[in-house]
Amino acid sequence: METYCNKLFCSEVGKKMKKDPAKVRNIGISAHIDAGKTTLTERILYYTNKIHAIHDVKGKDGVGATMDFMELEKERGITITSAATYCEWDGHEINIIDTPGHVDFTIEVERALRVLDGGVLVLCSVGGVQSQSITVDRQMARYKVPCIAFINKCDRSGANPYRVIDQLKEKLHHNAVALQVPIGLENNFQGVVDLVSMKAVYFEGQQGEKIREDEIPAELMAEVEERREELIDAASMYSEELMEAALEGDVPEALLIEAIREGTLKREITPVFVGSAYKNKGVQPLLDAVTRYLPEPSQVENRALDLENDEEEVVLSADPDAPLVALAFKLEEGRYGQLTYIRVYQGTLRKGDFIVNSRTGKKVKVGRVVRMHADQMEDIEEIPAGYIGALFGIDCASGDTFTSPGIRYSMTSMHVPEPVISLAIVPEDNKSQQNMSKALSRFTKEDPTFTVRVDHETGDTIISGMGELHLEVYIERMKREYDAIVHTGAPQVAYRETISRRADFNYTHKKQTGGAGQYGRVAGYMEPCEEEFEFVNKIVGGAIPTEFISSVEKGFRSALDKGILLGFPVTGIRVVINDGQAHSVDSSDTAFQAAARGAFKEGFKKAKPIILEPIMKVAVETPSEFQGAVMGSLNQRRGMILGTQDEGEMCVIEAEVPLSEMFGYSTDLRSSTQGKAQFTMEFSTYRQVPKSLAEELVKKAQEKKKAA
Amino acid sequence: MAMLKQDLILRNPLRILGNQENEPLKEGAFGAVLAKAGVGKTAFLVQLALDNLLKGRNVLHISLTQPVRKVCLWYEEVFHNIADEYRLTNTSELWETILPHRFIMTFRADDFSVAKLEERLNDLTEQGIFFPQLVIIDGLPFGEGVRDALAELKLVAREQGFPVWFAIKVPPDEDLSPDRLPETVGDVSDLFQFLIGLKPSKKEINIMVIRGDMDKDAPPMFLDPATLLIKNRE
Repeated sequence: METYCNKLFCSEVGKKMKKDPAKVRNIGISAHIDAGKTTLTERILYYTNKIHAIHDVKGKDGVGATMDFMELEKERGITITSAATYCEWDGHEINIIDTPGHVDFTIEVERALRVLDGGVLVLCSVGGVQSQSITVDRQMARYKVPCIAFINKCDRSGANPYRVIDQLKEKLHHNAVALQVPIGLENNFQGVVDLVSMKAVYFEGQQGEKIREDEIPAELMAEVEERREELIDAASMYSEELMEAALEGDVPEALLIEAIREGTLKREITPVFVGSAYKNKGVQPLLDAVTRYLPEPSQVENRALDLENDEEEVVLSADPDAPLVALAFKLEEGRYGQLTYIRVYQGTLRKGDFIVNSRTGKKVKVGRVVRMHADQMEDIEEIPAGYIGALFGIDCASGDTFTSPGIRYSMTSMHVPEPVISLAIVPEDNKSQQNMSKALSRFTKEDPTFTVRVDHETGDTIISGMGELHLEVYIERMKREYDAIVHTGAPQVAYRETISRRADFNYTHKKQTGGAGQYGRVAGYMEPCEEEFEFVNKIVGGAIPTEFISSVEKGFRSALDKGILLGFPVTGIRVVINDGQAHSVDSSDTAFQAAARGAFKEGFKKAKPIILEPIMKVAVETPSEFQGAVMGSLNQRRGMILGTQDEGEMCVIEAEVPLSEMFGYSTDLRSSTQGKAQFTMEFSTYRQVPKSLAEELVKKAQEKKKAA
Repeated sequence: MAMLKQDLILRNPLRILGNQENEPLKEGAFGAVLAKAGVGKTAFLVQLALDNLLKGRNVLHISLTQPVRKVCLWYEEVFHNIADEYRLTNTSELWETILPHRFIMTFRADDFSVAKLEERLNDLTEQGIFFPQLVIIDGLPFGEGVRDALAELKLVAREQGFPVWFAIKVPPDEDLSPDRLPETVGDVSDLFQFLIGLKPSKKEINIMVIRGDMDKDAPPMFLDPATLLIKNRE
């Protein structure tokens, strides 16, 4: 009888087997909020001897789960930053990134997926495939991450893993194949039947650490055989040998594992496991699955752009002796200074080496190199290709690429969504002011979806991000980590301004009264276009001398920063200049920039300017009995309901709702559905604000301007 | 924008269906498109829906086989194909104007009932959220007991004032011809005022009007197998 203690023993031996990329797994654990991924990670760390006690999320013992290491995360019971950690299992080194489940933190999930080779999609056996699982799955597909699924919470009342497998097929179009059959469900959930080894597996001992393998219970035999046949059928597509073996009725375990692995790596099979992390059941077999079915780094093709060669794509090799290419995918302000999480794709990053930041061209010396375990760390000498580690004392931004001197590669840029919501913040006192600056400088480096600017008219500092919760978390972090107390204004939607028709302009900037004069005339037209901004020069005969054309463009570009309706950025404009005039003495760069700004204002006013607002894609998951109420609530918020999806007792309502109407929606939804519904929202598009509302907005903006 | 819409309506080969007012079905009436699996029933119905959306009519699309997201994709795909076909530019504004007129509902086929649909419709109309003027039902199994469901649905359609178009799957072993209806439809064919068959030939998919009014002088229609767009053989 094999026990999992043996696997741990192997893992201790495994410490000496480093630099064997075939034994490395870089995985992410992704799921809908509350599907239990932090609890699962916690159990993984326990069974792999990385931690010696189990704490719960929102733990009664006041310690909290190890991966949720920020105080705030512990308090809210959600995972905000994706802490990277490693563990060892069965001679393999597994790097785990625990990713946030809330959609406001999607950039964290996207970043994690960029550096991962495989994913574990955690699903709740009661809730099934929820809206956030769909978002996460889409992200996994974008980065072509092969995955296995873990259906958690099989001990919960209403648990139905087979329904979840059906949803994986129907909603996410996965070829989901069960690799286990649960023994009992809900209160009676005892263990699992492994369809590969055809053994029943029970998890005993106080923390489920003792594995007992036994015969399959007779009452499950018929179902087990049916499911195993389905599994062999699916896997046979990837191995003729297996197909033949199946026909002969004798399927060797290794052959079956190899075929499942093949299908998984191609993203054509999603092996499904079941368990209950909270009840310490099913975690160790999942770890086995990570080592068996998810790819080793060399099996994933990674590409970089050669900046010296017209950004030509280069395929990287997982060779530890090749020149270094590494990506800084996450920054954190730790107890000992800035910590930069890094994934090495090619070559080896060694302590004491000189490396070059491809973006800035700066050469830096590698100081401390560490491997992270949540908020604890271990000093190491080097990070070979395929590994994830962290560096101290490296000044860089998230997403920067580091290489050996002599090459200039950049990893393909990450998909960064535009922020959609802003908030004015005012520090309480001088001390808070200073600390706030430090905090903001850190946060903007860590998170590209979080931006900061100063409103020159009001003097306010404006922070922008992906949602209400996103900004709230940073405000809290400022207070807790930097002792910066700030007061916040009402959340402000990031509107845009554009024009709705073509209009001519002909503007002369003239200042010729004493001293050095200024003169420039710019004429042409502006019209709506699909691009953000387009500048077309149709001047013939030198009406504006060539040397001032760039000044004119600069002038127009600077005018885009602030529209004349609300003062929000202007987008979707093509400016064509076809005439103008210069003065032999008084024309200058400054004069033509000013003339362009004047021309912009003149044209913009005539071109029927309109206001655009961010529209969010909202998915509400609710018991069917509240469908009418939820639709009503979305409708009241100017929502356009795209559709409703009936799924038996539950239903999903998909709608597009203006962000400005979504403030406080969670409270509203809770009260109208007895707290039984939940929703996710993500940015969809910009759309014109209705006329009456636009007028109101303009009026308010004018009043604010007057008051300032 | 109005001109672009009018242009698309006039160019739509579907205009030859129906009588002089150009409406093939009246309130409470049923129409169906019949074809074997994968021939283009959904694409046909989506084009029918888009034609109505362009005319400013509210279309409720009910699918018993596909999730909302997938149905949305069908519309986007067909709309883009139409835009490409007629070389239209700046179509995003047009798309935005027709979108509020569309509502998608999906049910599990084994869970669908007319009573449930009526309940959902009431949720929409009572709160003034959406009033369908045309309903499309894709994926309804035409097996045993469908007659009762259709009869019930006819009452609802009459009461709420909309016609209904269905997609009917023809079994693989049955042939589709203008003179003989497949068995699945035979029993309920009296409930339908309009029947259209899709039949693949070598190069294209022929559209046959099996029952219903159409402009007799108009050139025959077919589905282009590459884009699944309805075209005239001109």
